[in-house]
Amino acid sequence: MATVEATTVRDTHRPEWVENIGGQLLALLTALGIAVLLGSVIVIAYGENPLVVYSAILSGSFGDANGLGYVLANAGPLIFSALAVSVCFKGGMFNIGVEGQFIVGMASASFAALTFTFLPAPLLVLSVLVFGVLGGMVWAAVPAILKVKTGAHEVVTTIMMNGIAASLVAWVIRGPLRYEDIGGGFNVNLRTDPFPDAAMIPDLGHFFGIASSARLSWVLPMAIVAAAVVWFIMRRMRLGYEARAVGASPGSARAAGISIGAVQVKLFLLSGALAGLVGIQQLFADQGFLPAGYEAGIGFTGIAVAFLGQNSPVGIVFAALLWGVLARGETSLQLETDVPREFIIILQGLLIMSVVVTYQVAKRRLFSRQLRRAAEVEDLHDAEASVDIEEAGEPGSSREVDR
Amino acid sequence: MPLGDFGAAIGIALTYFTIIYLTGLGGLFSERSGIVNIGLEGMMIVGTVTGSCGTAELTPELGLPWGPLAGILIGAAAGAIFASIHALATVTFKVDQIVSGVVINLVAIGVARFLSTIAFGQATQSDSGQPRMDPIDIPLLSSLPWGLGKAFDGISPMVIVAFLMVIPVWYSLYRTRWGLRLRSCGENPDAARSLGVRVSPYRYEAVLLSGALAGMAGAFLAVEVNLSWNEGQTQGLGFIALAALILSNWNPIRLMGAAFIFGFAQAIPLRLAHAPIIGAIPPEFIRMTPYVVTIVVLAGFVGKVRPPAAAGRAYEGSTGI
Amino acid sequence: MASNDAGARRESASPLVVMEGVSKRFPGVLANDEVTIDLRKGEVHALIGENGAGKSTLMRVLYGLYPPDGGTIRVKGEVVKIASPRDAIALGIGMVHQHFVLVDPFTVAENVILGDEDGPILNTETAQRQVAQLAEAYGFEIDPAAAVEDLSVGEEQRVEILKALFRGVDILILDEPTAVLTPAETKELFENLRKLRGDGKTIVFISHKLDEVLAIADRITVLRRGAVVGETTPAETSKAKLAEMMVGRPVLFRLDKPQVEVGETVLRLDDLRGGRLQGLSLEVRAGEIVGVAGVEGNGQKELADSIMGLRPLEGGEVSLDGHDLRAMSTQEIRNSGVAFVPEDRHDQGLVLDMTIWENTVIGRHDDADYSSRRGVLFIKKMKELAVRLIAQFDVRTRSIESTARTLSGGNQQKLILARELETDPKLLLAAQPTRGLDVGAIEFVWSQILEQKAEGRAVLLISAELDEIYALSDRIVTLYEGRITGEYPPDAPADEVGRGMLGGKTPAEAR
Repeated sequence: MATVEATTVRDTHRPEWVENIGGQLLALLTALGIAVLLGSVIVIAYGENPLVVYSAILSGSFGDANGLGYVLANAGPLIFSALAVSVCFKGGMFNIGVEGQFIVGMASASFAALTFTFLPAPLLVLSVLVFGVLGGMVWAAVPAILKVKTGAHEVVTTIMMNGIAASLVAWVIRGPLRYEDIGGGFNVNLRTDPFPDAAMIPDLGHFFGIASSARLSWVLPMAIVAAAVVWFIMRRMRLGYEARAVGASPGSARAAGISIGAVQVKLFLLSGALAGLVGIQQLFADQGFLPAGYEAGIGFTGIAVAFLGQNSPVGIVFAALLWGVLARGETSLQLETDVPREFIIILQGLLIMSVVVTYQVAKRRLFSRQLRRAAEVEDLHDAEASVDIEEAGEPGSSREVDR
Repeated sequence: MPLGDFGAAIGIALTYFTIIYLTGLGGLFSERSGIVNIGLEGMMIVGTVTGSCGTAELTPELGLPWGPLAGILIGAAAGAIFASIHALATVTFKVDQIVSGVVINLVAIGVARFLSTIAFGQATQSDSGQPRMDPIDIPLLSSLPWGLGKAFDGISPMVIVAFLMVIPVWYSLYRTRWGLRLRSCGENPDAARSLGVRVSPYRYEAVLLSGALAGMAGAFLAVEVNLSWNEGQTQGLGFIALAALILSNWNPIRLMGAAFIFGFAQAIPLRLAHAPIIGAIPPEFIRMTPYVVTIVVLAGFVGKVRPPAAAGRAYEGSTGI
Repeated sequence: MASNDAGARRESASPLVVMEGVSKRFPGVLANDEVTIDLRKGEVHALIGENGAGKSTLMRVLYGLYPPDGGTIRVKGEVVKIASPRDAIALGIGMVHQHFVLVDPFTVAENVILGDEDGPILNTETAQRQVAQLAEAYGFEIDPAAAVEDLSVGEEQRVEILKALFRGVDILILDEPTAVLTPAETKELFENLRKLRGDGKTIVFISHKLDEVLAIADRITVLRRGAVVGETTPAETSKAKLAEMMVGRPVLFRLDKPQVEVGETVLRLDDLRGGRLQGLSLEVRAGEIVGVAGVEGNGQKELADSIMGLRPLEGGEVSLDGHDLRAMSTQEIRNSGVAFVPEDRHDQGLVLDMTIWENTVIGRHDDADYSSRRGVLFIKKMKELAVRLIAQFDVRTRSIESTARTLSGGNQQKLILARELETDPKLLLAAQPTRGLDVGAIEFVWSQILEQKAEGRAVLLISAELDEIYALSDRIVTLYEGRITGEYPPDAPADEVGRGMLGGKTPAEAR
């Protein structure tokens, strides 16, 4: 082999992520295009003009400040939910239990709001947040420990934990935390007592001239800070580094001395903590009480948003906003066109499906290009191991036949 | 007699059994072929709205007993069509099966509302009091003493269909070439491919069948049980079916037992709320039993389950053998 | 037909299959370079060569798994195009892969008939009877009703062969069939192969084990670097000659082993038990290389994993410089001075989807040099380390930001060596360190291992390649069924060591 030459490392610092991000953007735009196109087909089949429909959707968010405020307000919970999903996903795990973790978190946050009423406002809000986080973490700990100790697959256990959470919270509302003023028995208005004002998250929208009806609160900045923290943990801290190693190659991580179980439990707890804050916006910036049948589905939507954002914190913030724009479009769609507002959910579904498919295809292409380039660098030497061709020799010209 | 409540509870349990068993069989086909299907709930939802719609539209044309039957068949067909999205994504495009399943569940809600708006003019429910099939009394069993006969009084013909379903399912899986090949795709697709069995068509067939069965279960719920469509009426039964499937160790005969037990758990709060001991437990805790049982089983505390070896993994092709 | 007139028949038979000028190129590699080979009826044709010589690739082309980039294939005189295994089977060509492809929960009979059932409705009894008859016809011992997951490796291999026979193949390709077998199972396989040959079947035997090839083959084709370098018969050749053809120069060549004074015991293994290990005891001292020779599957992986704390032991002691390693986590074991080159680079060595700089620091990322006590990484220092190491070890890559996946096998192994040796270890544990590498990379790895010895470190080398063991070791020990069965000086004759690898039996006894 040749001795070390400067040329072999000459472009060491040319960051490959530049072209990766370029590729990702291209894939995202392609996916958006496909979704919009397929959506147009449905719209045309419905006898409407796609241009009218899409501009109606956009006008819902960008028509006035309140529309935008609504989008921003709803992004917060989605960001928390998607971050919760992404944290586990980086570690090679699928947390489908964000839904359950978040409703348990909200039950425990509601408990804090209704119990520690003697605290001054900032402390009460803080205790609400802490209890939300703790509730989510407790609920996430169960599948994490089961996975590490018994090998029970987290996908199934978290689905089951969702079912248990729904029943548990239903019981909490019917029992311990029932709203006393409405009288007993099964009541359609079954819910907890109203939270004290001191437990509520302050409004943020009025600083920007957004009506308080948009419910834009401090939850959004909290969510963005959370995204930054998650980015820092995953990219700049040991836990994130170990998590990515465990997610990509458990065997190599283990042989390198990383404790897989510890990493998995930590990730699940982080995920649960984030999940525990998903409902804060809805309960503590909007409704002011915990209603029965509180299964908003944000935990599942978070999975879609996480994939739309390719599990990167920055991507997730933007994906949550895009999702919010679409959701906001429901109302304006109904006002301005004859297309049922439910078209939006179908459009969201098309978007997420085309995103996952496009990324899948893009990943394969990127992969084969990397291999090709590697082969060039190799001076056509032994590129075999990367593609797992078990038998692949190096080219040789020697051909002495031994006869 | 006190057993009257018990009989009634069994009657309700049979209804839930039908939903859970049909949906669970759907999951069985899909996962046996190697495709994890957590989109069963969504496929059921599509079955509910289309089944209800089919019944409402076709009953006046076909007459009373045939309208509901047509509705149920339409629900099954719609479930299969909807499931083709899952098949396309997971088999052809090799999208992660869990992701696709989650998306299926999300989209189903929108599709249901969309269709409901078109069919019923409102997004979340149909007109109530749609026709159902003529209920039947099972001879002998319905005349059981002490009120137990109530369980077999006036039940839907679909309950019997669900019970009989075990025969063709078991036979097709274990006694036909198709079943052997389907199962080999779920256990070791490389082995199947190396023997000339093309994996994708079997996985497509299994996923479509899965959608048809879940759709049929959903349609049964809307047409035969609730007599109308309401948003949210599936109440997570698709996930309970998934739980039953795991408990059954992916076996159609054991799935019957699991589906019945979980169906009975659903019935307790409805009919045995005042029974001794059971009545003292908050109904919410009884409702969570299927999930708790599944976790306990998965954790290996009781017995051991073994999913199809290749379930969840996309099949990449044969060159890597 | 009696099997002892194989030689006479060989002369008269016209070739059943002729592959002429077949080439196959992978990205960056010419795996087969205009290879010409013929297979005759009723012969065992051995295809031998080093790792990466292109023997499996050639047969995969014949079996329709890889489309050839050039050349023609003729079967029974007709030029054919083989696009899939299905086509191959239709032409009477079957292949048993090194890694079996069986459906574990299915019965033997179900595995055999899968894809070739006699109708839409299964008839279990008929199928089992057919398989039983087939097995009986060739003298295979197998229970058609047994589930494959309950079978031994040797039995699983019989199922694979039955699968091919059931489809009526005339040509059976066996890819490294003895790699996973115990000597007793190998013996049975050879008996079965002789029966098949007696029945007129053609067998292609891919191997790099010369003793076995000489024992079973009628004809031997040697490949090197993707090209045929010669064709011979066991009668005309010898092990030494074959080895020379394979490697391209006289073998058992000696590298200049540095002379180092052997020091204190560094690694002490005492009566290790658990899994395949059945009372393994071994010592490695500072400044010596101990080579563990043995047929794969005799506990090599368990040995390495046990030292690294990756597998629980049922009994025994592992100590490094007198410190008990069994009480330590993998991380503590590494920190106390063990460097590990695992036998599977992809599963235990590298995180392929992470960047090169992230891979160069894994395992040391919690050193005070690379992250703070609170867990914040010092990324700049990590990258500096990577830049330094890839230059020092000549890892050829476009950028340290590329993923490890983009590296070739040789460069991946260099990356691992760079990472592991940077820690100034007391012990280097190298398992199959040159598996799948080309000759250039092998030389590099070998020189690095010798370098460690020169530095006075202890080296435990586990290898299935006897040549490698001879080239590097100061002491050779043989591993058989989880136990050390012998210890030999580096100049011990190969057949003596071979006897130890078979548990002390002579090859003849083992066969």
